[in-house]
Amino acid sequence: MTPPDSAQFPDTIVLARDLSQRVPTAGGMLDILSEVGLAVKAGETLAITGASGSGKSTLLGLLAGLDHPSAGEITLLGQRLDALDEDARARLRAGRIGFVFQSFQLLPALTALENVLLPLELAGRPDARDRAAHWLDRVGLATRATHTPRQLSGGEQQRIAIARAFATDPEIVFADEPTGNLDADTGARIIELLFELNASAHTTLILVTHDDALAARCQRRLHLVAGRAREEAVA
Amino acid sequence: MSFARLGLWLLRRERASGEWRVLLLALIIGVGSVSTTGFLGDRLKRAMSEQGASFLGADLLVTSPRPIGDWPDLAVTKSAGTASPLARSQALEFPSMLAKGDAFQLATLRAVDASYPLRGSVRIADRPFAAGTARPAQPPPGMIYVAPDLLPLLSAKVGDRVQIGEARFTIAGIVAEEPGQLGGVFGLAPRVFMRADEVAKTRVLQPGSRVTYLYQFAGDPAQLTAFSAALKSRLDSTQRLIGSREGVETLRGAFANADRYIQLTALISLLLSVAAIAIAAHRHALRHYDQAALLRCFGATTAQLRTLYAVQLLTLGLLGSLIGVAIGALMQQALALLVLPDAVTRLPSLGLAPVGAAVFSGLLALAGASLPALMRLVRVPPLRVLRRDLPPLPVAAWLSAAISGSALLLLIAWYAGNARLIGVFVGALAGLIVVLALLARLALAAGRGVQKMSHGPVRFGLAQLLRHRFDSTLQLGAFTLALFLVALLALVRSDLIAGWRQQLPPDAPNYFLINIAPAQQQSVAAYLSQHHLKASALYPMVRGRLTTKNDVPIASTLPPDARDANSLRRELNLTWTATLPANNAVLAGHWHGDRRVAEISVESGMAERLHLALGDRLGFRIGDQTLAARITSIRSVKWDSMQPNFFVIFAPGQLDALPASSIASLYVPPDAASVLPSFIKMFPGITVLALDRLIANLEAVFAQIIGAIQLLLGFLLAAGIAVVIATLLASLDARQQEAVLLRTLGAQRAYLAKSLWSEFLALGLLAGLLASACAEIAMALIAQRLFELPLRLHPWLWLALPVAGALLVGMSGWLTTRHITRVPPMQSIRALN
Repeated sequence: MTPPDSAQFPDTIVLARDLSQRVPTAGGMLDILSEVGLAVKAGETLAITGASGSGKSTLLGLLAGLDHPSAGEITLLGQRLDALDEDARARLRAGRIGFVFQSFQLLPALTALENVLLPLELAGRPDARDRAAHWLDRVGLATRATHTPRQLSGGEQQRIAIARAFATDPEIVFADEPTGNLDADTGARIIELLFELNASAHTTLILVTHDDALAARCQRRLHLVAGRAREEAVA
Repeated sequence: MSFARLGLWLLRRERASGEWRVLLLALIIGVGSVSTTGFLGDRLKRAMSEQGASFLGADLLVTSPRPIGDWPDLAVTKSAGTASPLARSQALEFPSMLAKGDAFQLATLRAVDASYPLRGSVRIADRPFAAGTARPAQPPPGMIYVAPDLLPLLSAKVGDRVQIGEARFTIAGIVAEEPGQLGGVFGLAPRVFMRADEVAKTRVLQPGSRVTYLYQFAGDPAQLTAFSAALKSRLDSTQRLIGSREGVETLRGAFANADRYIQLTALISLLLSVAAIAIAAHRHALRHYDQAALLRCFGATTAQLRTLYAVQLLTLGLLGSLIGVAIGALMQQALALLVLPDAVTRLPSLGLAPVGAAVFSGLLALAGASLPALMRLVRVPPLRVLRRDLPPLPVAAWLSAAISGSALLLLIAWYAGNARLIGVFVGALAGLIVVLALLARLALAAGRGVQKMSHGPVRFGLAQLLRHRFDSTLQLGAFTLALFLVALLALVRSDLIAGWRQQLPPDAPNYFLINIAPAQQQSVAAYLSQHHLKASALYPMVRGRLTTKNDVPIASTLPPDARDANSLRRELNLTWTATLPANNAVLAGHWHGDRRVAEISVESGMAERLHLALGDRLGFRIGDQTLAARITSIRSVKWDSMQPNFFVIFAPGQLDALPASSIASLYVPPDAASVLPSFIKMFPGITVLALDRLIANLEAVFAQIIGAIQLLLGFLLAAGIAVVIATLLASLDARQQEAVLLRTLGAQRAYLAKSLWSEFLALGLLAGLLASACAEIAMALIAQRLFELPLRLHPWLWLALPVAGALLVGMSGWLTTRHITRVPPMQSIRALN
């Protein structure tokens, strides 16, 4: 795939060139990603699809700066990630990037409201508590504010995770199989919510899924086969 | 929000978590243990310092076995014009019998003049354990003041009349407080104050009687310095000059050693708590890898995570330490009541210094136990949010070990104080851990056989024990240690003295007669034979100090660590006889027999301690005379024979000219005990020492000390329980998974409950059995090696310890894990997800 050039994409928010990820295994080096290139503009929605083990989540982790590639470069929010160490990448994420995970990743000891509050507090937002309450209301869980994750269903937990991801007004939201742990109906409602919030907040959304219905909601689709990427037209 | 505040916020939210609770509990137990001894030690130390001069009752004290006549001029100073003479007081101290009706008791009499004490105060009360009022210690004529413990021994009360020697006195009050006294710990011969001018009329003191002359001085420091300088050259080796500071220092030195050992006992509980803390911290870290990864994902840097977890740890550390200190403050009072029942009210109040020391120990222990786990926690890669199998980046093993090792070593060093004791403690600890681990492994291997024979839930429960082998070893080791030490102390307390008493022949002497004047010897012998009482030979006794070996000062012939020997610091009881006493055996050389030559026989232990050999010429100072004799035999002595025993025995004829009194031991059968009051009336100057009573007193002192240590072992037992709970919590997730599986497959709650109970009961039972075996072995070694007592088994121990172990481990194990049998499987599955 032709590596994109940042000069060609002035409003690009995520740019990847020649990304490769190799990991040692018992049977020698394993290529998880090979020479993947990608440019995502602000406000775009992108689905990364592929079979299990095709490298979707690895790519998501690299793009979000959670890991560093064996080769290639990534520019995230205008910063070259390879020039940043682990802590500098963390600072770059603070308040500017939201995450939604397959397993929700709520802190079990905190209430629904406090889970939404956490990234706001970390980003030092002065109106953190009001914002958290507002976003909890946006996802329809204002009445469950004092409940802990254990007292909530999977769908409710994921809605809280979505509120948490959007609460800081991030520029990008990364979502890893957001419906993977949910039944079809609940999953569909979660997708609705995710795209509705994304549209109203004008956020860039990059999500990993093997659910075609979900991928179809995105403007663009990057399909991975054995670590190699191919941009596909959205049906 | 700062990460420090976030840390506190999360901590508050997670305060109910099992790990934090165990960690806090273990810390409270450990700090409680060290602060209990810390507080009491500090109170005693301050009591000694605060007493200062009042400790001696004077600024300067001179003790002498005989009167001193030629004092330097008391007012000699350079500024003689301004100085007034030193204040001075003189007292006599000697043992004597007090008798009231048929009751009699040995007491230490201090005969004082009107100015005693020069410093500090004596408080006299009109009833036992009252605070009393400060008064001169010199009672009005015909009266005495007595220590409170004397009254029950004589069945007397204030106002009663008692006999001392040939005179009668009225008990006019009770000594509630006197200089130098911290408590009645060693009240073997209770104190009596009488008037110095009334000693003569008792006729107790005869030539050769045991008596100490006390000369006390107080006044201007410069004058005292000049005076003591002038005095020093005039004193001989039997006389001692003690400054007030020196007096306190001597006591404080002895106390510091005892205090150190007690503190180290307390430290064992803290170290066992460290094990529980380390396990809890490890589980806490494991359960928070996801949290840490999420926070990193949200933009937290390593330093911010470090701040967050450090603040949590510090908060818990301070909280646990302060609660521990509060418990220590309560327990030290209990300990004080056990050790110093009479002196508690006189001790200074709680000090702040031990709080700092205990909190520091708690934080150090916490850091050593939990930093390695938390260091891993901050190294969790953020990618873990996507790949939950990702472990934290490894922390170098040497770094973890170095952090934990140095924290623990620092802790041990802090309490042990010197390199030798640190070495001994660490060595003993390492040895104990190895032995306990081996024993626990062996016991578990034996448990495998039992498991094979069992079935159903019992088999499953035992299988759990064997499967978590590391955990089981740790739990077993910790609990065995606690039970073993508790049992050992109980055995020492019940067995040693009783055992030693039992092995004495039934007609072993039970009384000593001391201070028999030469003129009384024949009438005493006649009295005893008239009443068919069996007595040992009468041994004449003079007191003298060993000063030289082969004409050089003996201290200079010894290595520095041997110069402190007891036999050099005090006057020895010297005797002479032609016949080798029973229970003595010549090990080297020849017994001198009735040859009237300058020869002596020396006891083998003393010969060894003082590096003495056959042919050495020893010089003694007896009164104002010196004499020398050659060692011609070295003897073994059976010290527990209840016979008069001597370190040094002279050949006849060497000491004849010196004033001597005699000593004998005597067996009085219980049905003849009524003879004694009449004996005391007939020979009022003779001191009758009741060995039964002496041993009972020693037993009481022993019981106090052991009671105090047992109180500390309560902490150890609690720390053992904390280890059991911490290891169980660490395996709780795995257990819950197994429980879910079993219940899904149709196991009933009762099945799970039975399997848990069998596991914990088996663990407690094994710990009890191991502890019984260890206690029996240790006791056998102590009894045989140290006391030469016959081997004795304790069947009750083999029942009591396993039952106690099974109950304690069973209850704490069940309480920790029972909810896994109650939660519906679906809920468990969701919780685990």
